[in-house]
Amino acid sequence: MEGARGDAANDVKVSGPTELASKADRRGCCCLKTACQIRASWSRRASLHFDSDSCVCLAGFVSSEAWSGLPLRESRGCRDALISESCLTLAFSDRLESWDLQKEEKTPSWSMEITPPPESSGPSVGLPLVPGGYIATKPPLYRSLSPQLRAKSLALSSEHAILLSASGAVYTWGLGSHGQLGHGGLSSEEEPRAVEALLGMPMSCIATGSWHTVCISDGGDLYVWGWNESGQLGLPSRALHQDVGTSPAEGPQEGEQHEEVFISIQAFPALLDITPSCEIRSVSCGCRHTAAVTTTGDLYTWGWGDYGQLGHQTLISSDEPQRVEFFREQQMQVADVVCGSWNTFAAVVKDEVSCS
Amino acid sequence: MKTVSSTATLWSKISAALPRDEEEFPLQFGDKVESSVVEMLKRCRRQLYSDATAASRMLNAQIVVDVSWEKLNTGTWRHVDKEWRRVYSCGCLFKVAALCRDDPSADEVVQAVRTCDMGLLMGADIMDDILQVIVRILQGEVRKPTELEEESEHTEVKRMKTEIPRAPVIKEELAIPRIKCPSLESFSTNYLLPLKPVVLEGTIGHWPALNEHPWSIGYLRSVAGCRTVPVEVGSRYTDEGWSQTLLTVNEFIDRHIWNKIPELKEDIRPPDYCCLGEGDEDDITVNAWFGPGGTVSPLHQDPQQNFLAQVVGSKYIRLYSPEDTDKLYPHQSKLLHNTSQVEVENPDAERFPEFARAPYLECVLQPGDVLFIPVRHWHYVRSLELSFSVSFWWS
Repeated sequence: MEGARGDAANDVKVSGPTELASKADRRGCCCLKTACQIRASWSRRASLHFDSDSCVCLAGFVSSEAWSGLPLRESRGCRDALISESCLTLAFSDRLESWDLQKEEKTPSWSMEITPPPESSGPSVGLPLVPGGYIATKPPLYRSLSPQLRAKSLALSSEHAILLSASGAVYTWGLGSHGQLGHGGLSSEEEPRAVEALLGMPMSCIATGSWHTVCISDGGDLYVWGWNESGQLGLPSRALHQDVGTSPAEGPQEGEQHEEVFISIQAFPALLDITPSCEIRSVSCGCRHTAAVTTTGDLYTWGWGDYGQLGHQTLISSDEPQRVEFFREQQMQVADVVCGSWNTFAAVVKDEVSCS
Repeated sequence: MKTVSSTATLWSKISAALPRDEEEFPLQFGDKVESSVVEMLKRCRRQLYSDATAASRMLNAQIVVDVSWEKLNTGTWRHVDKEWRRVYSCGCLFKVAALCRDDPSADEVVQAVRTCDMGLLMGADIMDDILQVIVRILQGEVRKPTELEEESEHTEVKRMKTEIPRAPVIKEELAIPRIKCPSLESFSTNYLLPLKPVVLEGTIGHWPALNEHPWSIGYLRSVAGCRTVPVEVGSRYTDEGWSQTLLTVNEFIDRHIWNKIPELKEDIRPPDYCCLGEGDEDDITVNAWFGPGGTVSPLHQDPQQNFLAQVVGSKYIRLYSPEDTDKLYPHQSKLLHNTSQVEVENPDAERFPEFARAPYLECVLQPGDVLFIPVRHWHYVRSLELSFSVSFWWS
């Protein structure tokens, strides 16, 4: 994990990959020693364990230090979970529940029964997709989706949504003021609209940041669009190239004239080249940064870096994808990556011992 | 507020403006602000009144600034919850305190001024406009330009004066009528109610801004040079390269203004005629506009009545009635639907054939003039030389 806030005892900014500390040994919790999935919001991390005794453990800004890291009783038996800054959403086989993380209550703040789809209807979908629709970030929480979309996966920011269909087509809707819908303009869409620029090119994986969208094609190419103010698209960003502390006495005739083209908003999908060239296997986005894993086990990060979330041992933002050298140096293969708002979590496979 | 002597340190002046202790420092926010953020704010407040490292204070303040900045950029500005804007202002306040605590360098003071300005521009009022109070304290600390710099600016002024601006000749039959100091009643009856444009002469002669000692670039720099203001870059806002940016007044002068410019004084008064409207004085939006000769405001309309007061330099202005909107080809997009597509002084007759048939009125607005632009009247403005105007939007 890089960039985690308040997770390690004393460090707020963790700028190099650090193994997640486990409180398991002292408390007998299963956390982090067995296969688990990570979800993160701004101030918390949820670890999902799916074995005979499925549960979710929370860490970070929790109301009581005493139960940090312990499995949440309310989560026993859940199939999937999503965490936002204000609530934890749990999916069970027969129901959905949303728990308010800011209050300690005995019952969920929202719940809904669901009819599990028949086994034959294809692979099960993950949150925020649920049978017949999805769980939004603000009320009304349950929203239906047309079955014609054949939703396979869905990614949400607070203001826009991207849906990947079974055919590999990508649909977006919501606010478009930063080009994050990928239709070439800045207007909003109320209903899912296909990203035409990508038609004919099946996509396999999607992710969203607060104002940008990323997807991977079947062939392992990365497409990006949306706001690039911190270099989160991996395209040249003006803010990252402004000279700090230049002499104020320069007039326009004396100053250097840079002819570089900067991209502030990319309203159509752009193919992002990562050099040396590689195939991307999975991608995840924080608010303003992006992390991608290649088929050869390397992790690349770019975008906002003020909190160390890029993992390059610095607090510098980058508008060019850069490999996180730590994993190569440690002879680790990165298997997957998940980003919280301002941090990054990488699952690795060590060469000698298999663990995640 | 405690009184401090003039030899007090910067920090003692700032802390005199802050609440006395933690208990007196309000941190109440609505439901939209998550408890995790409130916790960060409380940490900042605790550190303000107790021991902490400079690095830790800066870090916590910056976290509040960063998380609230993200909220301010989420969704449409109109719908941003005011509570988040208040959080942003609080973050800026804590950041300024962290910067100025331990014998700040000149650069840190400039950073602190910029932080106050960002809080004032993007945040919302907290603690009786405390950021305004603090930025005034900080401005006193920023050094004035040296004599050498003032000299070189004078020589540039001499060069510019040899250029003659291209001033249009106003056709008498198209001239906007001019009247000197009409009574409230006569203005209301003859111009406001029938929504007829007029140039008011002799109504702002009393402004200190028009009566004072000669202004100089040096004076403006010393009063406001380090302050950050929104600036429109580009000669007209329909150009592709047009953008808005935030610059300090120093940066703006260096890059875009080469001539004498007047100081922006605080004591300008909204014209008395504004009292004929429905709102009160607080509802009047005052904007100052300064820019070099040649700056064009493309033909557009506004949803409020407007008094455009000319202080320095002159502007060529043309007005079209809202009744003739169909001949003015407004943009279709939501963003620009109150802006015409036509370049008024160089219209494309093929694309906009009806434009030539649209009747208009025109004037050259001189220092001391005030133009009444009735609500939704289309107006086109070209500055003929370095120009400083003040607009009053009222209803």
